[in-house]
Amino acid sequence: MRKTLIATLLSGLFTLPAHADENLFGYIKGAEVLPDGALEFYQVVTQRSDKGVGKYTAYNTETELEYGVSDRFTVKGALKGQAIDTSGLLIDAYMPGDEKYGLKFQGVEIAGKYNFLSPALDDFGLSVTTGLDYLVLDPHSGRDKDTVSIDLELELQKYFMEGQLIWAANFGTEATRAKRKPIDNLPEDFEWPTGMEVEIEFWAGTGLSYRFVPNWFIGVETLYETEYETEVAMERQSLFAGPSLHYGGADYWFTLTYFDQISGGGEGFDGQPDGLHLIEKTEQEIRFKLGLNF
Amino acid sequence: MRNIPGFITLPLALITPAVIVSSAHAEDYLSIAQAQKVLFPNASIFLESAIHLSDEQRKQIKKIAGVRQRNPIQQNWRAEQDGQLLGYFLVDDVIGKHEFISYAAAISPDGKVIGIEILSYRETHGGQIRKPEWRQYFSGKTLNDKFKLNKDIPNISGATLSCRNVTDGVKRLLAIHKIALPQA
Repeated sequence: MRKTLIATLLSGLFTLPAHADENLFGYIKGAEVLPDGALEFYQVVTQRSDKGVGKYTAYNTETELEYGVSDRFTVKGALKGQAIDTSGLLIDAYMPGDEKYGLKFQGVEIAGKYNFLSPALDDFGLSVTTGLDYLVLDPHSGRDKDTVSIDLELELQKYFMEGQLIWAANFGTEATRAKRKPIDNLPEDFEWPTGMEVEIEFWAGTGLSYRFVPNWFIGVETLYETEYETEVAMERQSLFAGPSLHYGGADYWFTLTYFDQISGGGEGFDGQPDGLHLIEKTEQEIRFKLGLNF
Repeated sequence: MRNIPGFITLPLALITPAVIVSSAHAEDYLSIAQAQKVLFPNASIFLESAIHLSDEQRKQIKKIAGVRQRNPIQQNWRAEQDGQLLGYFLVDDVIGKHEFISYAAAISPDGKVIGIEILSYRETHGGQIRKPEWRQYFSGKTLNDKFKLNKDIPNISGATLSCRNVTDGVKRLLAIHKIALPQA
């Protein structure tokens, strides 16, 4: 699994021309868009690990192209992949048992981002992104599940100290319609609903990034997420926070973020640590993003 | 942080040397001497000095220009022709999207911008900032002008922060000229 992921990353590093733009945070998005005609390639790898019980490690990849349709409107398309290795973890209705596979196609995403106010031109930046996701693999259990989501997010951004200190905040919502595929040989009395599920998620996050030497930024970011569904009302809520290290240059940029679950709640399972949500989230995530500009 | 997996450490190990190489090859377009010749072609001598700005002077500069004067020392060159002051040549660094942008401004004795030259620019977008078509908008500007991006100075898409900081920087140099440089 690890070899496959490394191969994916390296192919991105060595087969594309090196030019780039900037993305300061791992999870929080800024309000800026690409200029007219600019094209960027992103490779994002996220490791999600540890549910407090058994073994759980998943990798998610996003291979993405962004294009500046105009100076205010950017579109993107992404291919998503997933690898998972979990054992010794059984959660009724969520985790039906051990699962292990290398990088597999997980889904696609398309999105558009419109910039209303530029953070450098109007003092305060404001953009709106809307996107459509289609996934064929459940990010939690790793099993087959058809999911269609539509999301809407507000991105705010403010420069301080002529751009040496940058603040960004996001507020978003996502509506999801999902249907699991049946599984043979389920454990006795194990519930695995295969009917249509409808969920709505809300999130709010913020980040602060400081340029400590030219090209290098150190930041901190935090993200609160909560999800509601028809059967249990509030299914989950979680607060993650952690540091980010970002390099941005004329040729490319990269960002490394460590995200730790500070608190969480909602649905739980026997044996899990208190005060966290670990059914659909893990105890920590590590995200690496690389951007190249054409 | 627990164990950092190989999929992160390997790309980092590859990228770090590339970053060092990339930084070492940053593009410089004009030297100080070349920019002096371009902005003051008739000058026979450039007398270099350093102004040590007091806290009070830096406060006044911020009040006039609207942006802070980060460095308390401002290097400047007095451009003369046969003993007559033609103006001042100042070099400044402002924050670009990734790196500092170095530029030079020529200011006449009566506080008008004669012209600006970009000495180094290392950003992904906005290479047009170096072109005369953009830089010409600064010529003749005084502290009575707005210095407002997209009003009296055009913006360059993809380089808005760079344009804004150069625009604010030139106004700040005019404020330094007013407060700390002899007018004759």
